[in-house]
Amino acid sequence: MNEVKPKSRDTETSPPQTTNERRGFLSSAAAITAAALGGLLGVGPLAIGLYATVMDPLRKKTTPQKAAGSAGATGAKEGYYFVAQIGELDSHVPRRFTIVADKIDAWNFMKDQPIGAVYMRMQGEQIECFHTTCPHAGCAVSYELESQAYLCPCHNSSFKVDGSKLEFSGSSNPSPRGLDALEVDVQGTNVFVKYEDYFTGRHDQVAK
Amino acid sequence: MFRKLYNWFDSRTGAQASLEEALYENIPGGAKWRYVSGSMLVFAFMTQMITGLFLWMHYSPGSQNAWASVYYITFEMEGGNLLRGVHHVMAQAMVCLLPIHLLQVVIEKAYTKPREFNWWLGLVLMLITLALGLTGYLLPWDQKGYWATKVATELAALPPVIGGLTQKLIVGGTDYGHFTLTRFFALHAGVLPGLLIGFLVLHLAMFRKHGITAHSSPHRPDQLFWPMQVLKDGIACALLFAVVVFAAIAEPVELGPPAEPTEAFGAARPEWYFLFLFQMLKYFDGSLGFNTELVGAIVLPAVLVGFMFAMPLIARKKFGHHLNVTVIVVIVSAAVYLTWEAKQEDNYYLNHPDDTQSAPYKKSKRFHEEVGRSEKEFELIQQLVKDYGIPLEGPTALQQRDPLTMGLRLFRRQCASCHAYSHEEFAIAGPASPAATSDSPGNYGAPDLAYFGSVKWIRGLLSNDSVTGIRGERYFGKTLHVAGEMAEHVHETLWAAAETEADRQALATQIEQVAWALSAEAKLPYLDYAANQEKIDAGIGHLNDDTLGCIGCHNYGDNEDGYVIDLNGYASVDWLTKMISDPAQTGFYDGGSENDRMPSFHSEATKLLTPREIELLVRFLREDHTLLDD
Repeated sequence: MNEVKPKSRDTETSPPQTTNERRGFLSSAAAITAAALGGLLGVGPLAIGLYATVMDPLRKKTTPQKAAGSAGATGAKEGYYFVAQIGELDSHVPRRFTIVADKIDAWNFMKDQPIGAVYMRMQGEQIECFHTTCPHAGCAVSYELESQAYLCPCHNSSFKVDGSKLEFSGSSNPSPRGLDALEVDVQGTNVFVKYEDYFTGRHDQVAK
Repeated sequence: MFRKLYNWFDSRTGAQASLEEALYENIPGGAKWRYVSGSMLVFAFMTQMITGLFLWMHYSPGSQNAWASVYYITFEMEGGNLLRGVHHVMAQAMVCLLPIHLLQVVIEKAYTKPREFNWWLGLVLMLITLALGLTGYLLPWDQKGYWATKVATELAALPPVIGGLTQKLIVGGTDYGHFTLTRFFALHAGVLPGLLIGFLVLHLAMFRKHGITAHSSPHRPDQLFWPMQVLKDGIACALLFAVVVFAAIAEPVELGPPAEPTEAFGAARPEWYFLFLFQMLKYFDGSLGFNTELVGAIVLPAVLVGFMFAMPLIARKKFGHHLNVTVIVVIVSAAVYLTWEAKQEDNYYLNHPDDTQSAPYKKSKRFHEEVGRSEKEFELIQQLVKDYGIPLEGPTALQQRDPLTMGLRLFRRQCASCHAYSHEEFAIAGPASPAATSDSPGNYGAPDLAYFGSVKWIRGLLSNDSVTGIRGERYFGKTLHVAGEMAEHVHETLWAAAETEADRQALATQIEQVAWALSAEAKLPYLDYAANQEKIDAGIGHLNDDTLGCIGCHNYGDNEDGYVIDLNGYASVDWLTKMISDPAQTGFYDGGSENDRMPSFHSEATKLLTPREIELLVRFLREDHTLLDD
């Protein structure tokens, strides 16, 4: 009942006169061109896609937010954000302050968004200001009144109230450095902070 | 007729030959149950592809939409919970099957010559699978996924020189946002599965080329793949599927509250199968002066994976295979141990209920509190979504209008360092007073603000009970007011004068009536004032007649001689707004001389809270849970 003729099958699957062309894979100009073209055709679209995907985030400025003039605070220096009025700082307990600024997320513009937070307290005439991001792996530390220390909820990093690393006996503290101190600028009663994000996991405080 | 049609089809396609090629693989020693792990992995991946594709039909990446769409899939879509549940559970099953398959290959010595390439392909498949797990964890854009993944992308920045660039590429900029989601989604649903398919095809082709590694069992004859091995594989996969579906139904897949970049989640943990890596980071103490974290997070895992890639080459040496088996067993055991240890640390507080003063106890307790807080926040947002739907601006916009969600956050952040909030449903612990040091004034605390302004609260304030009364911890116990005129008046004037039981009864009745009258000033939404009008009227009478001696110090009605805490509109919206904004103002702690450390939250000098935040807090304290306007 098999109606298929072996002959016709043969002619379809094995084209004739192949011996000459198979002699060397890259033996002729045509072969080299074809191979190069094949490679280019594969790489071309990939390169175009990668270029856009790689360059877009790399060429963006590090902080797309503009400092907001909230609470009537003006006179901010470049890169500084208004965070508090000096009367809000306590001389013992660090307080957490949210930084509010306009935010751009890709195609969206959002006015007055919380973009980050700092801990601040008065130390004599000086203002101590720390980034809330743990320098170990980027979780957010919080100040615990009971132990009078900054504690990170992730990998057991902990810091003294002055920001330096706290060494518990019998427990490791994986943070490579103390909390990141931020520069503060006081104008009248307004406190401005140079708010930047820093690379975590490095021995030195390096801005992103 | 059918036969004819089939022959025509076969002659044009060669289907029969292909099928025979696929199925009539010889298995030396016959079909075995232990050969099923590879097929199960393929089946698991297939399930992920199919369920993933259907999830894709309903998922929308983007900061405002991701959580909302996953919420819809999980809680509103017919069959959506099962769909996402199967995807979620099967992912974990896949990660469980991986080491089983790998251990089999190592123990059976199937990674050595001539199968080196297949071993390498398998390792690549393993890494892709783990990457799929990592990228998938972020997509729901809930607090857990957001904060856990954030740690992972922070680690990507660790390698010198290229670290920062790598991080920016993955995150799509410096900050988490739309592009983080679009990139993770493209990786999770496009790039990685595509790569996985490609490498899987090569893996299977290579497997067919070399055949199964059978340590021949001489008494058992060879069998073909079809039908016995296919049957065994099929039964195993069917069991796996049944277990996964059962698990997805028995424990419906969950979702956390939506990601909030400035509301840090203190219980961020990676998915359980990455816990060993998470735990390992704790042991690389940064005090050595060089970048030890890089070692723990990247170098060591890379060395281990590198060793696995080198295993076929090592196996050529004498005892090489034994070394390989030993190292793999050590790695797997270490991973199991570290996972267990991570869980132990998080659950320390449950396992050591008596060790209340130790650091691990406190840390673990905080972890569980954060988990509880996150569950509560999810309950709240779920109710909000049911009542109002999710606005275009996303779920967090809804939360920011909700007095309950925001009240709990604001109270915890701004008030709980002094005040407790012992509400039956939404309790917030007050301060655990530290010992007094040069840096801190020590013992302090302020009245418990749960049910503030209610009859119950005012009744307690006017009670002389040493625990629940005015000098108890719930009221002035930890403030300077404990020795002040008000406490003295309640104790020495009111209650000390009531000598007989009948006097005390009469005083209690008067206090009850005054409490109703004052609470009526507050007009709290949860009390029924109309039904207690008689008590209120009697109370107003007592206040005007100064039966309890209130208006010597406080203003009420026509009396304007008071100098502290105005009782007109007591605990009303306006009154609370003023009290929180600036307690030192006229009508409250006038000039601040009577004020015991209550800060001004919105005054000339301080703006700790915005007017909007104060409005939320006032509604929260009054248990008025109507949403704020946009």
